[in-house]
Amino acid sequence: MELLKRQETWNITYTHALGETASWFYTQLRDNKKLYGRRDAKTGRVLVPPRAFSDQTLVPTTEWVEVGPAGHIETFTIVYEAFNGLPPPPYAFGFIQLEGADTAVGGFIRGLDLSNPAKAAKKLAVGAKVMTQFAEQRTGDILDFWFELV
Amino acid sequence: MTAPRVGIIGIGQSPFTRRRDDASYPDLVREAVIGAMRQADLDFDAIDGTVYSLSPDAMVGIGNAETLGVDAVGGRNKPFLRINTGGATGISSVAAAYYHVASGACDVVLTAGADKVGECGDSQTVLNKIWDPTYERQLPHGTITMLAMSGIRYQHKYGMTEEDMARVVVKNRKHAALNPNAHLRTEVTVDDVMASRMISWPIKLMDCCPQSSGGGAMVLASEKFIKQNKLDVVWITGVGHCTETYYQGDRMGTGQTADHADAYALGKACWRSYKMAGITDPQKQIDVAELYAPFSNTEFHSIEAAGLANVGQSVPMVNEGRFSIGGEIPVNPSGGTLCTNAIAVTAMIRVAEVALQVWGKAGGHQVKGAKRGIATGNGGDHQFFGTVVVEA
Amino acid sequence: MGLNRKTAVIGTAIAAPPPDDPRSLEELLYDVTQAALIDAGMSIEAIDGIVVGSNDQFDGRAISVMMASGSVGGVDRDILSTPSAGEHAFVMATLRIASGLYETHLVVSWSPTEASSMAETQRLGADPYFHRKLPLDELAGAALQANSIASATPGVHDLATRIAELNLNNGSHAYPAAAAQTAEAGALPWPLRDGMVSAPATGAVALVIASENYVAAKGLTNIAWVNGMGWATESGYLGDRDLNQAEALEAARDRAYADAGITNPLETLDVVELTDASPYQQLLVSEVLGLSARADWESDVATGIFTKHSALAVNPSGGVASFNPVFCTGLIRIAEAANQVRGTAGAHQVKGAKNALAHAASGFAMMYQSVLILGDQPKGAAA
Repeated sequence: MELLKRQETWNITYTHALGETASWFYTQLRDNKKLYGRRDAKTGRVLVPPRAFSDQTLVPTTEWVEVGPAGHIETFTIVYEAFNGLPPPPYAFGFIQLEGADTAVGGFIRGLDLSNPAKAAKKLAVGAKVMTQFAEQRTGDILDFWFELV
Repeated sequence: MTAPRVGIIGIGQSPFTRRRDDASYPDLVREAVIGAMRQADLDFDAIDGTVYSLSPDAMVGIGNAETLGVDAVGGRNKPFLRINTGGATGISSVAAAYYHVASGACDVVLTAGADKVGECGDSQTVLNKIWDPTYERQLPHGTITMLAMSGIRYQHKYGMTEEDMARVVVKNRKHAALNPNAHLRTEVTVDDVMASRMISWPIKLMDCCPQSSGGGAMVLASEKFIKQNKLDVVWITGVGHCTETYYQGDRMGTGQTADHADAYALGKACWRSYKMAGITDPQKQIDVAELYAPFSNTEFHSIEAAGLANVGQSVPMVNEGRFSIGGEIPVNPSGGTLCTNAIAVTAMIRVAEVALQVWGKAGGHQVKGAKRGIATGNGGDHQFFGTVVVEA
Repeated sequence: MGLNRKTAVIGTAIAAPPPDDPRSLEELLYDVTQAALIDAGMSIEAIDGIVVGSNDQFDGRAISVMMASGSVGGVDRDILSTPSAGEHAFVMATLRIASGLYETHLVVSWSPTEASSMAETQRLGADPYFHRKLPLDELAGAALQANSIASATPGVHDLATRIAELNLNNGSHAYPAAAAQTAEAGALPWPLRDGMVSAPATGAVALVIASENYVAAKGLTNIAWVNGMGWATESGYLGDRDLNQAEALEAARDRAYADAGITNPLETLDVVELTDASPYQQLLVSEVLGLSARADWESDVATGIFTKHSALAVNPSGGVASFNPVFCTGLIRIAEAANQVRGTAGAHQVKGAKNALAHAASGFAMMYQSVLILGDQPKGAAA
């Protein structure tokens, strides 16, 4: 019995409106190399990345708060496997709590030797101090910055 | 008012495997449906409505793929809708079917679905697209990295080694070896797991669920229908759902309600279902659990969220065998999600397996004397959680 | 079978943002949710459960409920998602309340226009086994159905044009900005023509529903009772269906009418909001709902129920012909019908509307059919 197959690829481009809050965050990043969070009016938590409202309390956020560039690692992982459409391994990324922020923001962690997972993991352990690095050419994108251990 | 009793009268599942080149997606749905209808000894005429279980369309490669399942479930001209809560879809579908009956709308409801994850090319590529295009899509997020990061925080808060994770794999593979429907059935040792290649620290290849293909189906019925037809049945006595924030980064830092190390909303879903079922002391009142845990490390916080161990204390208990078949409260006697993951139905299979256990129909992986069990499902980025309590 | 207890719509909000709206999708959903809660006079804390309906491919998010969950109050709450149709979220929520395990629910559906091609995203719904290579999107499905209807009933092309004009006229009052954006001529598959279909627009809709017990306890009066609910699906393959019929709608109609005790819809109903995927389909739906027999189509378009002078108002909102946020048009019909009964429909309020029918249809050639009967009095079968 001959079993046949067909191939299909999905090919759609989306233009997602970022809204005023995310747009302001990205323009500050692009033009001034600064990072900001927004404060949840009810709990006082500074949310990074910033949003127009807190999903926890459902109230609009108030006031911009500058955060970082120093911070520490709240969690991380190091990827050694190649996946279609994702970067070639190895790479480390995780969530970093910037000074002044109450939540952690995702980003790549670069500049360390990842060849020995256990050794690298020790360096990246929760609490490890990092400094935000900014790209020379920034476009207003989350990849305009990354983190390096200090 | 208290909800009317709803029973499970039929269960069907495929023998799960990586690829099913012999069957189209609707064929797999049909396979499971026939199994469930056969056990319930019903014709399609008896089915009042269907809840269709399907998570990301992209995994199957068809937009609104449930439309192709309509004929497989005999759904023409009948009530039909689809549920999607990511990986929790299967358990949310059982819950939705439960409400179809408990509302008085239907006497007999079929819930079914299938997946062909092994055919999709790369599930992590698809799953990267569940992340927020505003701030996070550009990062290489995937479910493996997400739960690796959860493991890192669990390790930091409570202690957990790679060997501890490996022992979960050993346990579940041993169980799966007894389950003819499981995908990965080969027993492994701690050394095997430790030697498997690193995927995303600390998760190695054998710490990961497989990409499975196959179908699942269940038939639920009202107490009235069951009594009228004198049917063999087990009962759903508790149902609960709860959700966490989408933002993983909000589950850490300062002042978080839920920590990414734990499974806070799973705990709430469990306790909502326990309240309905009258469970006050899970460690004493639950005989068996099928907890959704696609990676070895996630079984720890799932056990704790279900109240089967205190928070941060499940690691030594797993090591002692408390949660193995033969132990006090077997967790994932089917092998669990770690051994079989056909995403659209995985969480339904958790309910199906618990139902089989309390029904005494679990065959080679039967937990002796199990009368009350729980099933859980997780979906999204560790965001949607559902729990179902099933009793004999 | 009747439900174990009744539910009522106690709050609604419909969002028809302008094309240059600065909000992100999540912000739009947050606003429409807040607006519905305000309309219901309650805070999110009083919501026991949430059901949303959205389409991953339209949203460009592989599990669209994930990002939306926060906006609609899902954090720390019980939320389900029905991606089959927005109106299915309403059905699911109603069943949850009728089960006795929930007193209130929030129901939300939406439809963005961020995809590079709506047609392309819809085409992904065709099976890859036999039909993916065909240009099969929802407009094509509507056109196929229109042709099937037209080949059975000559003269229907003119009727369709007239109905489209009427819908647009209504829409110019209800949704003036949206009604002005009709689909580009030349982009429509025959026999659909200019003015018959509105270009896809961004939109969102939220409803708050509550049990009869909650309504009584709070003494709520500005509500619309759900007196009948039926829902059903056609077969998945278009080729398996007779597109000149709507069997699934017959099943949905029978159930809803039986619930609500409706034997003469023309007499009982004051308002009908139906999903006019095309004006041809509006004719078919009207036939199946018992509003206009096929033999009467021509006279009804001239002087009967399809005109402004009819005792039964059809699509006072202007329907999909006027405002087409593709995925949530079904749930919008339910909100519009509920608003009519509650007297909150604003500029397009039909005076004295007491009983309304909402017809929601989704998918290729109206694959999913749902019928809701709403009224200002609780009526019809209980358990």
